[in-house]
Amino acid sequence: MADLHFESALAHRIAPDTTSISIREISERGMIDLRGNTADKKFMSAAKSALGVELPKAPRTSTTFGDVQVLWLSTDQWLILTGRARVTALLGDLRKSLGTIFSLAVDVSDMRSIIRLEGDGVRETLMKGSTLDLISEDYAPGTVRRMRFAEIAALLHVVEQNMIDIYVFRSYADYAWEFLMKAARKGSEVKLFPNS
Amino acid sequence: MITVNCPVCGAEGDETDFHYGGQAHVRRPATTDAANVTDEEQRDYLFIRHNPKGLHFERWRCDRGCGKWFHAARDTVSLDFKAYYGITELPPDEIIAQAKGPWADYFKERMKAKK
Ligand SMILES: [Zn+2]
Repeated sequence: MADLHFESALAHRIAPDTTSISIREISERGMIDLRGNTADKKFMSAAKSALGVELPKAPRTSTTFGDVQVLWLSTDQWLILTGRARVTALLGDLRKSLGTIFSLAVDVSDMRSIIRLEGDGVRETLMKGSTLDLISEDYAPGTVRRMRFAEIAALLHVVEQNMIDIYVFRSYADYAWEFLMKAARKGSEVKLFPNS
Repeated sequence: MITVNCPVCGAEGDETDFHYGGQAHVRRPATTDAANVTDEEQRDYLFIRHNPKGLHFERWRCDRGCGKWFHAARDTVSLDFKAYYGITELPPDEIIAQAKGPWADYFKERMKAKK
């Protein structure tokens, strides 16, 4: 088998200077999809011992331990992020720790593209493609939510107050990028409250 | 626009964040007795649905949230959700008590079978 190498779906895109917020791709993160039963104590502790951090049980939350980040996706599903180079080792640890426990761990590093939005007005920009009230306190840093964004499935991760990562399936990356370029174009900023 | 709340993960959104899954509690006759399914039973299972004015029971999926299916009782006139309940569950008793027409008959049957 030929050596596999990663190539970003957005490699041909250059960081724009036409937008009011910073938009760039994050391509150095690898991803593992983990599924299992939260009610199974053995599963929860096996996952913790491999990852170094507890799987978040509360909906739409995330936890971090060093380079490892765990995002809640569903009541039985998590997305684990780590450096691309570390994924194979971490997946190995995870599978060894889980053993025969009813669960599933798969390397999905190339399944999604991550686009990082940063700056004043990120939330307002994203709300152009979403029905969610992203300026409410529900979306504090750490929040993770699967959403419908610009008519496609996306995953939102609030990293900081003014920094949000959007995960889209790889085949939609180009479309999402194009949408964001237009939604964030300078001069098209939306002021939700005139005095803010 | 209708606002939906997922009883599994607590996500709130409009109907575009969710997916409507048709009428609730439709049972496949072949599951209970595959050898003796009449044409009428199979027709009813595949095609015949209630179309009530008022309280109705539906399946919904938390499409852009946790991805889980759930049941909902909804008023087809006001579009208000009256209750959410698990995908393997029956509605709360006080909602069943409000069911009319074919739904009232259906729940009467189900409750009888439960006893
Ligand atoms: Zn949900």
